[in-house]
Amino acid sequence: MPIRRTRSRSTALAALGLVLAAGLAVLGPSGASASSHREAPLIAADPAVDNTDVYAFVSPDRPGYVTFVANFIPFEEPNGGPNFYPFATDAVYNINIDNNGDAKPDATFRWTFHNIDRRGGNTFLYNNGPVTSINDPNLLFRQTYTLQSSFNGEPFRTRVAGAPVAPSRVGPASMPGYARLRNQAITTLPGGWKIFAGQADDPFFLDLRVFDLLYGAHLNEVGQDTLAGYNVNTIAIQVPFKDVALNGNATRNPVIGIWSTAERPRVRITGRTATSATDWVQVSRLGNPLVNEVVVPANLKDAFNALPPVKDASIAPLVARVKDPEVPKLIQGIYGIKPPATPRNDLVEIFLTGITTKAGGPIKADLNSQLNNADVNPSAFRPSEMLRLNLSVKPTAKPNRLGVLAGDLQGFPNGRRLTDDVVDIELQALEGAAQTGKLVGALAAGDGVNANDHPFGTSFPYVALPNVGAVNKGGGTGGNVAQSSAIVPAQPGSTPPAEQSVNAAPAAHSSRDTGNMVITATLGAVAFALAALLITEWLMRRRRPAAVAMATGQSPLPPSAASGPDEPTVQL
Amino acid sequence: MRHRILLVGLAAILLTGVGAVFGLQQGVSPNADTAQASGTPAPAAQAPADQLAGAIARAQEHLRAVPGDYVAWAALGSAYIERARVTADPTYYPKAEGALRRSLSLRPTGNPAALVGLGALANARHEFATARDLARRALRIDPYSADAYGVLADAQTQLGNPPAATDAIQHMLDLRPGLAAYARASYDLEQEGRLGDAAALMRRALGDAVDPADIAFCRYQLGELAWRSGRLDDAEAEYTAGQAADPGYLPLLAGQARVAAARGQTAAALAGYAELTARYPSPGYLMEYANLLRATGQPTRADEQLALAAAALRLFQANGGTDDLGVAQLALAQGHSRQAVVAARGEWSRRHFADVADTLGWALHQSGANAEAFSYAQQAAALGARNCGYLFHLGMIELSLGRNVDARRDLSAALALNPHFSPLDAPVATAALNRLGSR
Repeated sequence: MPIRRTRSRSTALAALGLVLAAGLAVLGPSGASASSHREAPLIAADPAVDNTDVYAFVSPDRPGYVTFVANFIPFEEPNGGPNFYPFATDAVYNINIDNNGDAKPDATFRWTFHNIDRRGGNTFLYNNGPVTSINDPNLLFRQTYTLQSSFNGEPFRTRVAGAPVAPSRVGPASMPGYARLRNQAITTLPGGWKIFAGQADDPFFLDLRVFDLLYGAHLNEVGQDTLAGYNVNTIAIQVPFKDVALNGNATRNPVIGIWSTAERPRVRITGRTATSATDWVQVSRLGNPLVNEVVVPANLKDAFNALPPVKDASIAPLVARVKDPEVPKLIQGIYGIKPPATPRNDLVEIFLTGITTKAGGPIKADLNSQLNNADVNPSAFRPSEMLRLNLSVKPTAKPNRLGVLAGDLQGFPNGRRLTDDVVDIELQALEGAAQTGKLVGALAAGDGVNANDHPFGTSFPYVALPNVGAVNKGGGTGGNVAQSSAIVPAQPGSTPPAEQSVNAAPAAHSSRDTGNMVITATLGAVAFALAALLITEWLMRRRRPAAVAMATGQSPLPPSAASGPDEPTVQL
Repeated sequence: MRHRILLVGLAAILLTGVGAVFGLQQGVSPNADTAQASGTPAPAAQAPADQLAGAIARAQEHLRAVPGDYVAWAALGSAYIERARVTADPTYYPKAEGALRRSLSLRPTGNPAALVGLGALANARHEFATARDLARRALRIDPYSADAYGVLADAQTQLGNPPAATDAIQHMLDLRPGLAAYARASYDLEQEGRLGDAAALMRRALGDAVDPADIAFCRYQLGELAWRSGRLDDAEAEYTAGQAADPGYLPLLAGQARVAAARGQTAAALAGYAELTARYPSPGYLMEYANLLRATGQPTRADEQLALAAAALRLFQANGGTDDLGVAQLALAQGHSRQAVVAARGEWSRRHFADVADTLGWALHQSGANAEAFSYAQQAAALGARNCGYLFHLGMIELSLGRNVDARRDLSAALALNPHFSPLDAPVATAALNRLGSR
């Protein structure tokens, strides 16, 4: 670690010198302003349609049902008061399913949100008293949604309108017993569907305290935010297998592909055509975790986000990059680990076709390609980037965070559970673990964070309740709720028992059972630094635009963040 | 004397510009520097300003740890440009350039984000042709970059190529509908004179705005659209809402001062301009302030503001900047019409933007070349529909050419749009109409 720190510092100094030189050389007309012209925001933050993660898994508590979760609006600060985080009302949020492998949606679930704003222009307040039920009149601003579905390209059909959104959790005084609000926001529909929309703890577990440790005192001097404790906005749906399987038959056709999209209506200024409500522009897209960050090259990210999966195979540079990824070369450049031979057809299987013996790939297993569905027409199959899930793999009582790579076939890249450690899995996969069947020892510690800071729930919608309290205090939901609400007189700051019981539900993961992962401190440190490097880059890019993305985290970090008992121990 | 302090402040801003390239300096607080330099604290701006400053600080922190992250360097550079726009603090521009060039040196090819950032920077510095070329280079690498189309749209607008600008904005709308695209689409429609459609799109932009400064931007533009239609109450309501979101967004002060002046609240208007120009001594605001001072019978103080505007322009030019439009407008305000013609012709040789045509036409009129003035005034009115200032100039030129019917139509149109459009010119238009009416 000291070596790493020194290197980091000297490089930063060198960079400073270069910036200085560059700046002086090209100073230009900088110091004064010209007469004004219209300058509009160019890289405005647009978090409401920023898709952070997608999950798809066989429901552990409900046999025969599959659950899809998509999260939006990264870095929500649970500060309470006027900070609340509505879904966009000028966009639609979709979860798409491809069950025949043609890379087009065969089922789409669509959320459209509406505001009910009773603030009347006289107040910015979210609520004007304690909110004890989902319809509490004290909640001045609320959202509802319409859920529609479309199957096999047929027109969308409304399944429910006016379904309540779980509100932003603005504090224990304003919302005593938040778990009750959450439960009231779960809507059950005919056919066994359960749907949800609302705020939740960001289930992506990567604790930025990793970087505090990695860069040590250097970072502590200036303060650093952590990711833990941030909330997101979740949409989730649970449906019977038959509703998403090809021909309604999950026994013959157990594999489905999943991706989420956010879309806004197309606006035209050329000509005089009015905006058509049915003409949508895709503004974000997500299937496999991190694919945008570790696979898609910089100059293709915009294309990738704009295009539907059916176009993926036609983007030659994208396919080329999957076959010859950059990350293993970076790893070699920094740490000397030799990259696997190219072309990486194992990665093609993981990201583009699903793991199958039917596409000529090197992985000798049939797991999660639509090509393995009995009724699929192979000639119509089209490689595309999406999360793929084999519904026939039964939930395990003891999931392994490393999923398929550790022999737990119910985990990523077979779908994605909330507990799957996708950072570590993808690092291993990029280093070839999926085709060799062996984990790369030097990377075994991964990013050193093996589980979310909150346990997940045991029933729909599974995501943990939203955090309250300052992010930088570690985001303890039940613990340090030292915030005071600006809305109602302060009440004792303890969280009601009901909430703790939800969060204290038995963890559906095993974060520290990786005894075989014990490696030397040196190797661990290397992998740790590497993972942190990659993940820092990913976090920087996770939200467009990267730098402005971080604007949501306002508060400076106290030099030593308080650690709760539940937090994973990071060993270096 | 405050004026001297202001001049010192301008020089100090320049000097901080040099210091500002220390973009990686730990705990650097450029906002504080500027507040001191201009001699005026800006406490009201702290909440949102701190947010963006915090974002920039974290990006710097990341780059200290991972200095090879060219995408993060480009993002930092672009964030600096946004910051410069929001705070009206030009010392962010050299920082932006440093970060963007660093990104490009780390990744000379396949780096569209750096080219987009440099293009945005060129637009901010009025180097519109450079911006257009950079945007095109970025689009060759990444044809799906909505940001690159945004830079291209801004450049084409200012270069006076409305069809090309509209085309770029439509691409932006097709790739990434959202605040940045809606705001540009709104401006495009506004220039076509479709003020209602422009307002509808700006409301759509407001619906997507998250950052306080972005909310303030949308509110300001909605206020301007109301102002352009003479709806003072609506304009004021938007400016007030903008200030509630971000009290530090300075254009709101100008909007409020204009409304106050229109209502005859001269003291409030003058105080508003005094505050605005103390916080941001830009030539444009100083000239507006001077106009109001002249209109209210304070020619000496008006001339002082114009002297400050001249100093600000000289500083810009001394640093290699080109703003002949500003030079021409200042020369007109000072009564140097021949100088104004030379400067405006220079700007027109570079770009056929509506403002430039309008200023050149008015300068020619002031120099007595009314026939030539007429053609430019007509071009301005054609390029930027339903603009009170353009209509006023066109009408006055028509009047001097004896085209009384046209003059009556255009002067009436200016006053019908917004009877308060200028404290100096609106009364002139009214008087001219009265003379026309009595003939």
